[in-house]
Amino acid sequence: MLNINNLHVKLEDEDKAILKGLTLEVPAGEVHAIMGPNGSGKSTLSYVLSGRDGYVVTEGEATLDGASLLDMDPEVRAAAGLFLAFQYPVEIPGVGNMTFLRTAVNAQRKARGEAELTAGEFLKVVRAKAADLQISPDMLKRPVNVGFSGGEKKRNEILQMAMLEPRMCIMDETDSGLDVDAMRLVADGVNALRSPDRSFLVITHYQRLLDHIKPDVVHILSNGRIIKSGGPELALEVEENGYGDLLAEAG
Amino acid sequence: MSDLAVKPIDEVTPQVSGPPKAADALEARLAALDLPRDGFAVAARVDALARLRAMGLPAPRDEYWRYTDPRPFNAPEAQALPIVGGPESPLFAARDTLTLVFVDGVFDAAASDDPALDGVEITSLADAGAGHWAEDLYGTLEAAGQSPVRRPFAVLNTAAARDGLLIRVTGTPSKPVHVLHRRGTDAADAVWHHVIRVEAGAELTLLESGTIGARSNGVIEADLAPGAKLHHIAAKRANDPKVGLSHLFARVLDEASLKSFTLAVNGRQMRHEAVIDMVGDDAVAHVAAAVMGDGHVGPFHHDDTVFITHAGLRGESRQVFKKVLRNGATGVFQGKILVKQGAQKTDGYQISQALLLDEASQFLAKPELEIYADDVKCSHGSTTGAIDDEALFYLRSRGVPRDRAIVFLVLSFLADALAEVEDESLRDEINERLDAWLTDQPLN
Amino acid sequence: MTEATDLDVREGVDRETVEAVQNMGSYKYGWNTEIEMDYAPKGVNEDIVRLISAKNKEPEWMTEWRLEAYRRWVTMTEPKWAMLNYPVIDYQDQYYYARPKSMEEKPKSLDEVDPKLLATYDKLGIPLREQMILAGVEGAENAPAEGRKVAVDAVFDSVSLGTTFQDELAKAGVIFCSISEAIREHPELVKKYLGTVVPQSDNYFATLNSAVFSDGSFVYIPPGVKCPMELSTYFRINAENTGQFERTLIIADKGASVSYLEGCTAPKRDTTQLHAAVVELVILEDAEIKYSTVQNWFPGDENGKGGIYNFVTKRADCREARAKVMWTQVETGSAITWKYPSCILRGDESQGEFYSIAIANNWQQADTGTKMVHLGKNTRSRIVSKGISAGQAQNTYRGLVSMHPRATNSRNYTQCDSLLIGDKCGAHTVPYIEVKNNSSRVEHEATTSKVDDDQLFYCRSRGMDEEEAVALVVNGFCREVLQALPMEFAMEAQALVAISLEGSVG
Repeated sequence: MLNINNLHVKLEDEDKAILKGLTLEVPAGEVHAIMGPNGSGKSTLSYVLSGRDGYVVTEGEATLDGASLLDMDPEVRAAAGLFLAFQYPVEIPGVGNMTFLRTAVNAQRKARGEAELTAGEFLKVVRAKAADLQISPDMLKRPVNVGFSGGEKKRNEILQMAMLEPRMCIMDETDSGLDVDAMRLVADGVNALRSPDRSFLVITHYQRLLDHIKPDVVHILSNGRIIKSGGPELALEVEENGYGDLLAEAG
Repeated sequence: MSDLAVKPIDEVTPQVSGPPKAADALEARLAALDLPRDGFAVAARVDALARLRAMGLPAPRDEYWRYTDPRPFNAPEAQALPIVGGPESPLFAARDTLTLVFVDGVFDAAASDDPALDGVEITSLADAGAGHWAEDLYGTLEAAGQSPVRRPFAVLNTAAARDGLLIRVTGTPSKPVHVLHRRGTDAADAVWHHVIRVEAGAELTLLESGTIGARSNGVIEADLAPGAKLHHIAAKRANDPKVGLSHLFARVLDEASLKSFTLAVNGRQMRHEAVIDMVGDDAVAHVAAAVMGDGHVGPFHHDDTVFITHAGLRGESRQVFKKVLRNGATGVFQGKILVKQGAQKTDGYQISQALLLDEASQFLAKPELEIYADDVKCSHGSTTGAIDDEALFYLRSRGVPRDRAIVFLVLSFLADALAEVEDESLRDEINERLDAWLTDQPLN
Repeated sequence: MTEATDLDVREGVDRETVEAVQNMGSYKYGWNTEIEMDYAPKGVNEDIVRLISAKNKEPEWMTEWRLEAYRRWVTMTEPKWAMLNYPVIDYQDQYYYARPKSMEEKPKSLDEVDPKLLATYDKLGIPLREQMILAGVEGAENAPAEGRKVAVDAVFDSVSLGTTFQDELAKAGVIFCSISEAIREHPELVKKYLGTVVPQSDNYFATLNSAVFSDGSFVYIPPGVKCPMELSTYFRINAENTGQFERTLIIADKGASVSYLEGCTAPKRDTTQLHAAVVELVILEDAEIKYSTVQNWFPGDENGKGGIYNFVTKRADCREARAKVMWTQVETGSAITWKYPSCILRGDESQGEFYSIAIANNWQQADTGTKMVHLGKNTRSRIVSKGISAGQAQNTYRGLVSMHPRATNSRNYTQCDSLLIGDKCGAHTVPYIEVKNNSSRVEHEATTSKVDDDQLFYCRSRGMDEEEAVALVVNGFCREVLQALPMEFAMEAQALVAISLEGSVG
């Protein structure tokens, strides 16, 4: 599904390499976790994959189902099935959450040559999915993320994920700022979306989210490269011993 | 060293240049007008003419015209500005309103609804005779609004206006009064003057839409008795080239409430002044505007000038101005909150914001506070900047195409101004129209 | 001509604000020093201009420069746009040059120096040894230095009295002297920079200053030098009917930095006195100037009689890339204040900051603020203004933020807060915001309110009287600006805030 090959990325504004030859493959249906210390390049990876300005790919490539991602506009990537759950979801005053979601869903359907959902169809689906995530009708009416608590914002991200039905979901530090109950709610939402043709890349600093969203593979990212990959036990090792030993091992 | 770099604040000239220099220009301007010499409110017109001769027309270096060139308004003749582009149904056309049609600033009774409506009494200015109730009011709020800043074009209007509406509201009419403007000729120099008196406890919604003259000069004088409410929404047709001035003079008595919202999309050179005198206690005045200017459609310069005076206790005022500018468009905001001595517990708020969509556009603002009472809460804010890249990326990462995402962000930016339209269905209609305009004319 | 208050001089600069409030009398700096003066005749004309130039032993080019300014000035009119109301100034009824005769004879020790002069120096945080040098005590240069070093230039009416630490500064290559000395000793620097930030014809008051400035300070920091100590000028108007027109020129060459402090006082007089100064700062590549002012000219009495008319033009030119300037001002004095320390951000990535406290009590009127003119790319500016009005005073913030088309990716943030104490005063905000490119971001916020009743009550419930409580709350309101001042000045300023507000409550 997602293939990243020898990816080198630097900042547009300064001569600073962030990713230095990152290679990663996430097959269909799998959940991969990326863990790493602060500054290892975790967020950069999520932004580069989803097409945010400000980064320059100097070498390497990234493909989704064989199609090169890096030349696509962000909305084209979204239509191709890529979704990024933001670490800090953006507030957009004056734009209703429902309007926003419906525009996004129909834009993607249109791009894929599918029929747009009518207001009635859309409403039915969104209400059901919102209820699963304990998102109140009031939250749906409010402007996008405006006045939402940290937990509400993250749940709103998962609602978008559920509505847009992406094939490849990247979750950037989704656990940050969440208490235990909110984390369980978010994890349940994600787990409900797991399926054989949908993959997840869960970026996190801590192991605790991985208690709820069980990964198939755990990668350790350091200084712009994957330095070790393994099973879920790798995350536990980090939890217990920190990153120190792993970093030392990698030199 | 660049001249601009060191130009001190003190190069600002004092307010208003009077005669003798401008006298010739003023006489030329007056000569081109057909001034009414008798009939309704003739005393007020004679007085206005004398006041105008004493103050003269503004000069480009006058402080109050620092950011807007008064010369198009000073010129004796209006420049012909043909309407381009296809038909567009006026806003509010589909609503149940009492529609009163003006062609080039002149009331067209035949094209209008029957003005009879419970709770409101409407006469056209041209039809009003001596002794009409509005005679005592005509020109008085305008005259009171000439201090401390002079507004010569409003004085000119009082002297010259041949038509307008005289509206007395005694109850709560079942539907809004809708003034629908049409343009008759390409060089129309429309001058109209409405006088509105909302009696104690009465309530009116006044809508304005359509196409005004190539050059226009409109004045509304609104007198709000205790507990009266006036909702005023002006949304002129988009893209019509026009050079326009409008003034809203209001006096707001105890517990009365004035809410005025203006929508402006393209045009040429426009200035809207709101001069609100909150004389009563517990008075409320909200003035807001959403402005979109595209220099590509034609030159665009839009100036909102607001002067709110708090004289009563516990007054609440809000000024919310949002301007979206691109392709060399210029937005201007001059706003002032004046709190007089003794106007304690005043709550005054003012925000002016510009969204600049490209390098060529500019926003010039002078948001002022002048406060002579201590137990007050007054604030103002002003920001200028471009589209928020983070928000744009967020929308696009959800699959919303760039053009659409920008429309969203523009609407998001304007939302606070639109929120000042109290009636939800009116607000939605304006929002939908804005959305349609933005979608028709992609922003980047 | 004596008029001295018999208040105890406070012991140090580090007293608590609250103590300062307890010790409130009238204007503390209102003593007059009885010194025989040497005056030029009243009024201004070309002969007076020539005389001032001759008294300062200036070269011909300087005399010509002054005369050019004078000829320009007579064609100009006094600006009237500020929210200031004052009687017509008779520019011919002023002395334009006054010089203490006694400076010829130096006192033998500090005992012979007016103790109040020393007390004032003390308040300005000037160490003893420098006080001796300033007061002209013989042999003071050899006394041991103690504490933190601050080099001081004192300007008494029209004339610079002397500059301390000149030798030590010279070792670092720093030139710090009176401007009259600089005109004689460093003509190449003066010629190169004088009038390049504030041109002769800039405005009415600056042009008058260009013609008749009598003295002032000059600073040159050579490339790469971080000035080894803070520099300070202390200005005092003493003689009656005397205008003071000092001129300050500071140049920070590439990579240099300096912190400069300026203090001002004047005696109490029934008649008003004119002060029209010009300060020019030139900041080259990577250089930085921090300029702090505590202005405490006599504000006039409770009835609005007397006081200094303060018309000052201060401007910094961040001429090259990454130049940085920070203006901090505490304006508590003067009957009339007309002052807009400004930043021309010409160099790419240059930065300007303006921190201001303006207090107007009784009948004082202040119209002050700043201009941030962004010309270079990626320039930054920040304005924090705190205005306090009490009594019958009027206090106006007037400012300009201008983003030119070429000043892409620039930022400005402005915060302008006003506090009203009493219902007879006024607080006004007149910002001009001109943005001509879209990659820059400008934010302006302003609030006006009265002293918070809950805060006052809380302080009083803890035992403070109303004036103490107000002083404390006002100091809290000003905190952001006070923090921008060098430590000693901050304490002085904090005490001044309290003193300036005396009698404003109850």
